[in-house]
Amino acid sequence: MRPAIAALVVGLVALVLLAGLIALPEPGAPDSPAQRHVSAEYIDGGSQAGGAANLVTAVLLNYRGLDTFGEVLVIFSALVAVLVVLASAPQTGSAQPAQRLAPSPVVAFIVRLMAPFMAAFAAFVMISGAHLPGGGFQGGVVLGAMTILLAVAMGRDRVARMLRGGARFWVRAAAPLVFALVALIGWASTGWWFGLPGPGPFRDALVLALDIAIGVGGAAVLAGIFLALSRE
Amino acid sequence: MAATDLFDLAVLTLMIACVISIARTRDLVKAAVLFSVYSLVLCLLWVHRSAPDVAMTEAAVGAGITVALFLYTIAHVGRHEK
Repeated sequence: MRPAIAALVVGLVALVLLAGLIALPEPGAPDSPAQRHVSAEYIDGGSQAGGAANLVTAVLLNYRGLDTFGEVLVIFSALVAVLVVLASAPQTGSAQPAQRLAPSPVVAFIVRLMAPFMAAFAAFVMISGAHLPGGGFQGGVVLGAMTILLAVAMGRDRVARMLRGGARFWVRAAAPLVFALVALIGWASTGWWFGLPGPGPFRDALVLALDIAIGVGGAAVLAGIFLALSRE
Repeated sequence: MAATDLFDLAVLTLMIACVISIARTRDLVKAAVLFSVYSLVLCLLWVHRSAPDVAMTEAAVGAGITVALFLYTIAHVGRHEK
């Protein structure tokens, strides 16, 4: 009886989703509403107003600055939630220690060999986000994944020691803080929240600082979640 | 059928196969690794749809970080679903 009900529910949901799918325009169709209204506007003025030669970055930083700020806050809140939950969990000293994950020497060597290249790629993605696909967040997840790989290969505690005390606190909060600062600067110089000053070296510096802060802060948040969860 | 449709079809079939295997297996490590494969294949679809920035995030978060977190949790709670 229960499998039949489950199958019925799955079938109904699939039907609704497929009906919605059929109503969607062809991807990239030039006459779909998305292409005729918003896109044309973005393509016309996006790179001028958006502060970045790459249109996706321009839209994320300018037209949807508030959304991006919200995303940055979401991952920061995730870290805070993990830290609060794990810090308030009762200390169970008698609990069985988790099986040590000792990677094979081959894996550990490959990870240590690749780490500098991953870090360089992450930095490249962050810095060139203004004119190539990518940006602070993408660079940040690459950097965060590298840190987690290093924690697995070299031992969690060695990686956790890399950033301690006050520096750890500020780096983890860097993305929302710098983003809020840029929003304030935008407000002061253009009268709009998340507005960017006119084209020039000042705007380029702001966008670069924002990308690096989102990247490094995002990486610290992701690594922080992993380090908090993997604490014995 | 155009080559690009064929690519989409292959990718989507692989993704559905991954999802069905994840639902059927009782070995949690296997499920986590299959989830990583699912994300990698989805990442190909993002590249194909000209969204390299989404693909980059998918590869790092979906195929990398999430699975590392899953595996660490599985090391704590035990490998087999009861």
